[in-house]
Amino acid sequence: MVRCARCVPSLVSLSRGSPARPFDDQAGTAWPEAPYPVLVVDRHGGLVRVNAAARLLLPDAARGDRLHERVPAWLSQAHRRLGDGTPGTFAGATAGRIDDRFFEAHPTPAGDGDIVWWLVDDTDRRLAETALSDARTRTDVLSEASSALLSTLNVPRCMEMAAAMAAEHLAEAAVLVAPAQGKRYPVTSARRGGPVTQSTQKVNVAEVPGLSEALQGFPPVPARWINPADIPGWVVPENFAGPVGSVIVTPLPGHGVPAGALILLRSGTEHVFSEGEEVFARLFAARAGAALSAARLYTEQAAITATLMHELLPPALRSVHGVEYAGGYRASRDHERVGGDFYDVHPGTGPAEETLVVLGDVAGKGLDAAVLTGKIRNTLHALLPLAEDHGRVLELLNGALLSSHHTRFATLVLASVRRRDHQVHLRLTSAGHLPPLIVRADGTVEEAATRGTLVGALPDVTAHTVRTVLAPGETCLLYTDGITEARGGPLGDELFGERRLRRALAECVGMPAEAVVERVQMLATQWIGTGRHDDMALVAFNARRNGSPTGVDGYGDSGRDE
Amino acid sequence: MDHSTEPATLVSRLWRAAIDADEYTAAGIVHTALAEGVDEEALLLELIAPVQEMAGAEWAADRISVAQEHAATAINERIVASLAHRRGGGPRSAPRGRVTVCCVDGEWHAFPARLLAEVLTLRGWRVDYLGAQTPTPHMIAHLHLTNPDAVLLSGSIPTHLPAAHAAITACQAIGVPVLAGGRAFGPGGRWARRLGADRWAADAREAAAALDAGVPRPAPSTARQAVDDLPHLADQEYTLVLQSRTRLVKQTLIELEDRFPAVRDYDEEQRERTAEDLAHIVGFLATALYVDDPDLFTAFLVWTADILEARHVPARSLVAALDVLADELHDFPRARRLTRLGVTALGERSPSSVPVPGVPA
Amino acid sequence: MTTTEPTEFTVTARREHAVLVVRVAGELDYDTSDELVDEVVRQLTAGPTPPAEVRLDFGALTWIDSSGLSALLMIHRRTSALGAVLHLDDRPEILERLLQVTNVLGHLTAPVADAERGRPEAGDGTSVARATGARAADTRTSDTRAADART
Repeated sequence: MVRCARCVPSLVSLSRGSPARPFDDQAGTAWPEAPYPVLVVDRHGGLVRVNAAARLLLPDAARGDRLHERVPAWLSQAHRRLGDGTPGTFAGATAGRIDDRFFEAHPTPAGDGDIVWWLVDDTDRRLAETALSDARTRTDVLSEASSALLSTLNVPRCMEMAAAMAAEHLAEAAVLVAPAQGKRYPVTSARRGGPVTQSTQKVNVAEVPGLSEALQGFPPVPARWINPADIPGWVVPENFAGPVGSVIVTPLPGHGVPAGALILLRSGTEHVFSEGEEVFARLFAARAGAALSAARLYTEQAAITATLMHELLPPALRSVHGVEYAGGYRASRDHERVGGDFYDVHPGTGPAEETLVVLGDVAGKGLDAAVLTGKIRNTLHALLPLAEDHGRVLELLNGALLSSHHTRFATLVLASVRRRDHQVHLRLTSAGHLPPLIVRADGTVEEAATRGTLVGALPDVTAHTVRTVLAPGETCLLYTDGITEARGGPLGDELFGERRLRRALAECVGMPAEAVVERVQMLATQWIGTGRHDDMALVAFNARRNGSPTGVDGYGDSGRDE
Repeated sequence: MDHSTEPATLVSRLWRAAIDADEYTAAGIVHTALAEGVDEEALLLELIAPVQEMAGAEWAADRISVAQEHAATAINERIVASLAHRRGGGPRSAPRGRVTVCCVDGEWHAFPARLLAEVLTLRGWRVDYLGAQTPTPHMIAHLHLTNPDAVLLSGSIPTHLPAAHAAITACQAIGVPVLAGGRAFGPGGRWARRLGADRWAADAREAAAALDAGVPRPAPSTARQAVDDLPHLADQEYTLVLQSRTRLVKQTLIELEDRFPAVRDYDEEQRERTAEDLAHIVGFLATALYVDDPDLFTAFLVWTADILEARHVPARSLVAALDVLADELHDFPRARRLTRLGVTALGERSPSSVPVPGVPA
Repeated sequence: MTTTEPTEFTVTARREHAVLVVRVAGELDYDTSDELVDEVVRQLTAGPTPPAEVRLDFGALTWIDSSGLSALLMIHRRTSALGAVLHLDDRPEILERLLQVTNVLGHLTAPVADAERGRPEAGDGTSVARATGARAADTRTSDTRAADART
């Protein structure tokens, strides 16, 4: 049919240019048998001839009838326009509907001012084109849906966008029902052009035909099986136009388990969902389900990580028994936020008791390192009663960490701290770690003369503890090699190094502990610039100048809001 | 001792206590004012913030040491923490909404962000304060979890603008709008707009007002890359200058030694300081290429000249460095133009000009 | 215009009778340390008889981090289990400093007691302690602790 339509212009052009009455001479014998409906109409709009095909199409039409009484207005008006105009306007075909078919009408002059109208049935091509354009629109919608939905990993936001897009492109209203949390279902409703509402409701999903099946991941129930009258009120969004006329309930397939179900609604006034629309709804639901599952998975993972991190992240530090502690931690960008560096402050039970400060670094990166870090921090906590003897603590810690499977080790510094009058008394022990630095009141920077073996890899460890005293204005700094091994600087790829660290510390006489930490962190961060870096951790402490004027004693009340 | 609660008096009293690292007195001033009925937001923005500004300005003028500047910041941080502690955590009633306050990746000036977080909390927002040590990917992970109404991105140093741009596009790509603030974003926030931030606010009160007015979520489908906002980046000048940054610094240092005998006699530390200054110049040059605005570069040079002269280092060394740099950058027309404009700006600078408070300190 | 690339990490092993010489060049870190352990273990078990001596040559080592040191400790466990003595030759400053701070040089290069030769790797921490048999370093321990108690 479509190919036949293409023949017409050549027939027409054959008839053109013939000297006299071309229609009668050439097409005269052709048109009565033509497979196309053909009407010959005089200049006043009277039907002159009607061929067999045209009689099938317009059974009432007969010779002598007025054209406008027999054909739709688009054709009779086109004829009138031709009569008004010049012959030059003949080239233009026109098109329109006759009953449920679609026709292109090609006019050719037939002498005497008569016009021969060839009606070419174009219905199928039109349908094919509409289908194609629908398919393009749908592909666009699906691709937009995917990119929009995958841009967020937040579950409520993802549901909000899915419902809004479904209401915009698939139906008049969309309701997304997520799997139950306990006995309640998170319900997200969207009406086209209206707001999206989200709530968690105790609803009976069995009331909606096909919904409980969809939530269990069964294939969707065909839309024509669902009686719109059965749809309960909670499904219909506020201000929905009129009673529900047509419903689709489709599952949102997840990663193995359903991510929820999507209910699409149309009011009675608009046409019912077609099969094609049902297929399209399923395609959309597949994308929404995948995005929603990814978001849910991410949220669960992140919640687990957050719980872990709550345990593993270093605490915010403040003042304990007249000594000020400040800590800083900058995780490497290369791996998990919880890295191999750690620090803790275990306050003494009273001002007369020592507070134990621990700062350390676990070999390796990522989760393995984080697990070992957690183990060390927990073990040290358990060993607190023995903290009077750093060597003993390290021996026991070493024993607890030894494994025949790996040689992952840790290096750390223990500092037992107690304030007496205006001075802070310290016992410092390094277990294979960079020795603490002490900023003296005169600006000299000393390295504590403690040395010992790393823990966790060797059968036996040794350690040498040193004692020292901090006068007012003097600060002790514990740090990890992430600071001194920070690479960068103005000339590039240089280590920050101990020399620069000492130079920076020399300027820190009399500074509050946080200011010392901030200063060192700032210099190291500047040094690195945009380069990569390892974890960096540091703890500074010194004698608090006065009592506790801000009413904040103890630690853990400031810092990151995680 | 003057116990007046008159604002200017309070500021100067708090300033003295802060640079002396006298937390006791400093906290006393603030808590007394609070007890006498001074509004907490006013304390944060009209007492503590000006003292913090002064710390930057006084350091720039070489009237206080680095140690004093850090001490003042630490005291201010502690006072802010004590106010928050006194208030108890979180908003009292149902929050207005949830927002994330974060510094640009690489920025270490956290104090303005901290003040903003406190002001928004006081105004009833639920605030997640991520501070200054949070890499952008971690911030994005946080946004996925919390789905805030907006991110408030704070930056003080313009060289972090490319990082800010990355953060802005990343937030918007997941449908979270960004309100930028801080000196890094330039006079009137002009670079915030250039980088596609949804809003810019000059201070905490403007930020709160913008949030109250509502910031619509960006359509996730409008995800874009840096070059979409800044088509001039296609000339690769920014990329190439930044990539060759250390080579440029080394080369310029060698050239300066050739041309100036004094530089040849520098000891190791002076040499390193000079290299750091050169690295800053190249860093600001690259950033000016990034946002395609010479003002970013010239403002930095003028400020640096002031800093140097406050320390009795002649600012003409900057002109010499720019001359050498211009030779090194002969293949880069935009960069060469910047160096020329830089020399002009330094020439037009009035030698007595007062240092801009707070810009990169 | 390009920045300098870090030296490529390489491991080259050669066997000279009873001596296994392994040349380590470049950066020994988190990304490369497994490669070193794997190569040494393969060489240890390659021939009909294990070497009596393993010499790691660090002349061309440019960087080592804690993961690298962890690898050396693992190699030491393997060589000790086979009764081979480990030598760390031509140590650059960076390695020397790391061994000093972590206090493991004595352990890594201690001679292996004859009784320990060929003893299979033990399954738990305590027996590993004996199997590795390097107690040379801890003679200092008791004194330091006593000294600490006195101060």
